Amino acid sequence: MKSIKNHLMFILPLMAILLGIEFYLVFDRTTDSYENGLKDGYSMLVVTTKPVKLEDLKSLNSHIAIIESIKRENIVSQIAKNVDKESQKQILSSLPYFYEVHLDKYMAIRGLEKIKNDLEASKIVKKVETFGSSYSSSYRLFSFIKFLLKLFIGFMGVVSVFLIIKQMEIWKYAHRQRMRVMEIFGAPLMLRSGILFRMAIVDAFFATLLTSGIFLYIKFVWVSKSGIDILMQKQDELFDLNDMGILLIVALVIVIVAVYSVVISNKGVEN
Amino acid sequence: MSTVISAKNLTLAYENGKKEIIKNASFSIKKGEFIFITGPSGSGKSTLLKALYGALEPKSGSVVVGGYNLVNINSKKLQKLRRFLGIIFQDYRLINEWSVEKNILLPLIISGYSTKIQQTQLERLLRHVKLSDYADRYPLELSGGEQQRVGVARALAKNPAVILADEPTGNLDDYSSNVIWDLMENACQQLNTTVLVVTHKIPTIFSLPYRHFIIEGGGVYEVH
Repeated sequence: MKSIKNHLMFILPLMAILLGIEFYLVFDRTTDSYENGLKDGYSMLVVTTKPVKLEDLKSLNSHIAIIESIKRENIVSQIAKNVDKESQKQILSSLPYFYEVHLDKYMAIRGLEKIKNDLEASKIVKKVETFGSSYSSSYRLFSFIKFLLKLFIGFMGVVSVFLIIKQMEIWKYAHRQRMRVMEIFGAPLMLRSGILFRMAIVDAFFATLLTSGIFLYIKFVWVSKSGIDILMQKQDELFDLNDMGILLIVALVIVIVAVYSVVISNKGVEN
Repeated sequence: MSTVISAKNLTLAYENGKKEIIKNASFSIKKGEFIFITGPSGSGKSTLLKALYGALEPKSGSVVVGGYNLVNINSKKLQKLRRFLGIIFQDYRLINEWSVEKNILLPLIISGYSTKIQQTQLERLLRHVKLSDYADRYPLELSGGEQQRVGVARALAKNPAVILADEPTGNLDDYSSNVIWDLMENACQQLNTTVLVVTHKIPTIFSLPYRHFIIEGGGVYEVH
């Protein structure tokens, strides 16, 4: 019973860290697709004095990914409905060229301003409209949610590290006698701390399996039952096998560092 | 006979060298000798023993045990030296969560002996210390005398060239003490093991004229 409690006291904070990491991974993946959605749905309007190609604008700013020409004929037909064809031709010849410009990634407002300045520095670019205000409000809300989650995960991580250190202190006390005796009889560091490493590595595996189990349950059972469309659509992004590898590596690194710190602090106890 | 322990102008101190316990001690001990070191409480008997198994770095002078110079010894050599020794403590220093069997086998496990050798040695040692029926028990299930017999068996496990004993009978009654003295004397006489015993008083059961050092006022003097 005492042994189970000792393991749980180590597994639970380790799980808290792993849950935080997994939440971050899931959030990053789902917000990545949200960012892509924002990026794909966003375009700026560029007005030029003569026709341009993608390369022409890309040479002004490398973040420009796609340009789509807006048919001037459509504009003319909209603004000059009751005008004769000859006049329409004249209007068309005097109209500048309009382009919808898509970017290669999600940009902050400063980035948009830089692109605007870069484009407007060219003589052929007459006007750039970034539609920054609507873009900015979505971006700020999104950044705020992301910041809050990171803050929460960070806080959880710090608290968990303290709990792990506390548990290490208990392990250190519990194993001090054995490690001392083994040291006196000439046992090398790895032999006298072998049991600690074995225990911690087993706990790391358990914590990884339990954390993965929670996310697998969320992915395959809870989400289907929840009826939340957005989660059901993003079901694949909730957990994948690579995450298990990442969690295991993180858990192993944490336990090895923790045990090593206990072992080192026990070194030379007899002295 | 070859020298297995030697000290020259050895000074031992605590508190970063400020508090000197042993001052300029010089002595040498040959293979197969049985040595008593006595002295009043706090005179430095256990401190000297600690220095002999490398748990206390000398402040000055030199000390050589089994060919290992303990001044500025590195951890690898220190481990080798300790595997060459058998050490017995007043408080037994058994591993309470290990069985008697595993406690006795500790030096053999550390040195990587095969299971077959471990089992052969174990049976011999258990018979030797009269604990054949106790192999599966745990230290806290044993009396003080029985625990110390486990400690002696552990010290003898590898047939060490040197046994260092720090007040080995300090916590035992007369009967148990005599058993422990017998075991150590036998090791010395039958296996030619050097036995160095720190004790506050030489037991009366010893009739042979063993060498005897006394520690007083920081000096180590041989009593003739």
